[in-house]
Amino acid sequence: MERFIADLVADLDSGKLDRRQFCETIMLAAAVYAAGEAGANAAPAQGLKTIGINHISYACPDYRKARDFYAGVFGMENAPTMDTGKEARLMFGPGPGAGGTFFLPRNGTTATKAKAVVDHICYTIPGWDEAKVRAGLAANGLSPTGRNGSLHVYDPFDYDVQIGNAVEENAFRR
Amino acid sequence: MEGFVAQKLDDYKAGKIGRRRLIEMLTLAATTAYAQDAKAAASNPALKVALVNHVSYSCANFQQAADWYSKIFNLDQVGATKNDVALPFGKKGDKAPGVIASDVPLTSLIIRSRDLDAPARGETAPRRKSRALVNHIAYTIADYSKDRVRAELKRLGYPNPREDGPHSFHIVDVNGYDVQISGIEMTALAG
Repeated sequence: MERFIADLVADLDSGKLDRRQFCETIMLAAAVYAAGEAGANAAPAQGLKTIGINHISYACPDYRKARDFYAGVFGMENAPTMDTGKEARLMFGPGPGAGGTFFLPRNGTTATKAKAVVDHICYTIPGWDEAKVRAGLAANGLSPTGRNGSLHVYDPFDYDVQIGNAVEENAFRR
Repeated sequence: MEGFVAQKLDDYKAGKIGRRRLIEMLTLAATTAYAQDAKAAASNPALKVALVNHVSYSCANFQQAADWYSKIFNLDQVGATKNDVALPFGKKGDKAPGVIASDVPLTSLIIRSRDLDAPARGETAPRRKSRALVNHIAYTIADYSKDRVRAELKRLGYPNPREDGPHSFHIVDVNGYDVQISGIEMTALAG
């Protein structure tokens, strides 16, 4: 970033950039930095590169109960204009278009022909404080199982929900 | 932040600060402005989730499924055991797009073969039978374009993926599970 800004200042000094262009470019650079390294997000020459989960489609008998649970307990944000009365979109993590994910509870069948099942989703909670996490779950009437830093609860439809921290739940520490 | 940049630029033009000082201040501002926003947003409530840590995918033959996801999405396999393996969305040390916090690891797929009727590890009670179903997962891929993704899927043996809006396709994996492939333009607010 520092080298990039130094080049911008040089361009400003030499007249290649005017004041407005300079300010706009700095603002854009800050936003791109926040969204992750651009190089890390580039697709390979061949094939698809996954950079995240876009959304989780969750079918259940009453999407409103799921919506209220995930928003109320885990702080997911309901996108109000997308709540159709049959489904909702709950945003979390980075912003929309910047790598964010949404949880999509919807009324629908739970029958499947697939020979595989997503049996749980684990979510990361940054700044994990064991006492506060457990107290927060208890305040919502939830009794977790698991171990410190990695806890499981059931949602209103007995779907297994895991929450964890970066120490206990990290693919590179298995 | 824009006001801050403009002010520092004025100071620089007026000779109040030097070139090196300008660069240092703008670098600091550009790399921390959004981090402070993210920190504030995450501080309340204590259970606020920041990212999917992993998706737990169970099937009869975990290695076959893992190889399929590795092939389609260019994912490495790490930490294999006799009945599961993790497929993180990047290399060790990478950060997920848009994530500032240092304690949020990359999202992973964990693909496993196990008896879901048996109690979970360390528990005695059997797992509850869910009345909900995660019927598909949508994956965001880098540099999405409809033509490029269609061509890649054709090359990978999926000549007729189901198109779903302007920014995604569906295919089924080796176990018949619905997989959605999306661009970053597909968000909670659009697409």
